[in-house]
Amino acid sequence: MTTLAQPSQPVQSRASRQRELWRRFRKTWPGYLFISPAGLLITVFSYIAIIFSLYISFHQYDIISEARPFEGLENYTRALSDKLVRISFRNTFIYVIVIVPSITIISLLLAVLGNQVRRGRALFRTVFFIPTITPIVVTSMLWVWLYEPTGGINRLLEMINIEGPNWLFNPATALPAIMIMTIWGAVGYYMIIFLAGLAEIPEVFYEAAKVDGAGRWHTFWSITIPLLRNSLIFAFVTLTIAAFQVFTQVFIMTQGGPMNSTQTVQMVVYHYAFQRFEMGYASAISWLLFGVIFFFSALQLKLFISRELY
Amino acid sequence: MARTLSSPGSGEREQSKLLLAATRRSFIIIVYVLLIALAFSMIFPYLWMLANSFKSRTDFFTNPYSVIPMPPTLSTYYDALTIGRMGVYLGNSILYAAAVLIVQLLIDSLAAYSFARVDFPGRETLFLAVLATLMLPGSVTLIPTFLIAHGLGLTNTFTGVVLPGFAGAFGIFLLRQFFLNIPRELEDAARIDGSGFFGTYWRIMLPLAKPAMVTLGVFIFLNEWSSFVWPLIILSDWKKYPVTVGIALFRDVNQINWPAVFAGSTIVSFPIVILFVLAQEYIIGGISLSGLKG
Repeated sequence: MTTLAQPSQPVQSRASRQRELWRRFRKTWPGYLFISPAGLLITVFSYIAIIFSLYISFHQYDIISEARPFEGLENYTRALSDKLVRISFRNTFIYVIVIVPSITIISLLLAVLGNQVRRGRALFRTVFFIPTITPIVVTSMLWVWLYEPTGGINRLLEMINIEGPNWLFNPATALPAIMIMTIWGAVGYYMIIFLAGLAEIPEVFYEAAKVDGAGRWHTFWSITIPLLRNSLIFAFVTLTIAAFQVFTQVFIMTQGGPMNSTQTVQMVVYHYAFQRFEMGYASAISWLLFGVIFFFSALQLKLFISRELY
Repeated sequence: MARTLSSPGSGEREQSKLLLAATRRSFIIIVYVLLIALAFSMIFPYLWMLANSFKSRTDFFTNPYSVIPMPPTLSTYYDALTIGRMGVYLGNSILYAAAVLIVQLLIDSLAAYSFARVDFPGRETLFLAVLATLMLPGSVTLIPTFLIAHGLGLTNTFTGVVLPGFAGAFGIFLLRQFFLNIPRELEDAARIDGSGFFGTYWRIMLPLAKPAMVTLGVFIFLNEWSSFVWPLIILSDWKKYPVTVGIALFRDVNQINWPAVFAGSTIVSFPIVILFVLAQEYIIGGISLSGLKG
């Protein structure tokens, strides 16, 4: 029956749908007015910005000169053979590969262990959170001081008879020094994320495990980890995206040195864009970084989500 | 299980119970030692910062790692505020943070209310377009944002620093979730009383959304107060620098004036400590929420 009536319907429904839409519009137009300030800003600073960025990445573009010739893929091919870019990508990869798992594992352990103790739980939570809310500029400056040859870190090492290096001025230790500080500063934030996830796990699961005689270790692997899946995905993906764009710590602590050993992609983008004013070239590098970030986040989401839900 | 139940001697069972209690206790002790050690590592750098900010130059150079200044002095603060120009930077930071806080809360909540409650054509698509921008890495938008600001003549201006922060996709998302959970009856009553769209938003929805607005407000403030890269790029005149850029520049001079850096750092951290004490639950609640949503 319905199939028979169909041919005449589209004409009628299009007209009536338009009337319906118009009626809805007349009743709800203030809605557009309300979203327009946010809409305008997001359009300009996100959508137009990203199209503009893509556009200039194909051009030779600086602020001063009027001539901005189209260059096709030249900025991209130049980036691929630029030694500085290659070093920065290598350093950034090392940085990401070290800090993302470290922060995830340490903060997860802190959350699980913190939940075991009764006294002072709130105090620990507060203390671990201090580095997270302190501006990264302040924390970085403090660690520059702690990393001095006779600074706090080396004095601590001296107590166990280790002669510490000149952390930030030695190409072998500068990047590890920045990574240690970043891990130290971030675990408190992710601990909060995991504590919230742990609070969502119903107590009955643990009681059931106890009745079955499961040990602490077994309970952790078969209940806590699977049920923390959402928090784990969130931590891993957001950490990866942020780590690939590391900038402020490096800018303050080493400026990319010594001997480019801490040069990261975002540092190089900054260098080309705002010190040498090669905006087009810098944009091309930032798109390469975006591609890498996109690839890895998509990969992580795919890996995590393809695992079966418990 | 079965074996323990059928085991004859009750003394043996007692013993294993005791052993279990002992392992549990030693486990808890190890956990405490670990947590306390880590807690110390997080407290001490900031404690040194505070202590050193009250030390005289000679005291700092002889005892940089003592936590009690001998004798305590305010001269570093005087240096930081005058020679270090901290006073100017602090005023700028307050101005930037206040402007972004107020305007973003207003713009975000208006948009969020509209997305939650006004059924205008194309609403879902537009909301998705807002959410999609959350995926954009800041590294890609940095250069074009600078060029757009430059094109609008906003480099090295107050407006240039704050304008891109006036709307936030995360804030719109957070507040919309909150508005969706407010019962519709409240607004219907207001509408019957003759309130328009704006009146309902202003008189009914905003007061009800106070907890969400406070949470978002704390995050906006913390973000703007700590922001470094954008002001560093858009500003060229030190008279307009926020504190974060100012502190980083203490370093640019050949030798780092550490006592002044510590005083400056203490000054920047102070409002955050106050905020943290007052709004800790909001901060932790907000972070937990963002994690659960993910």
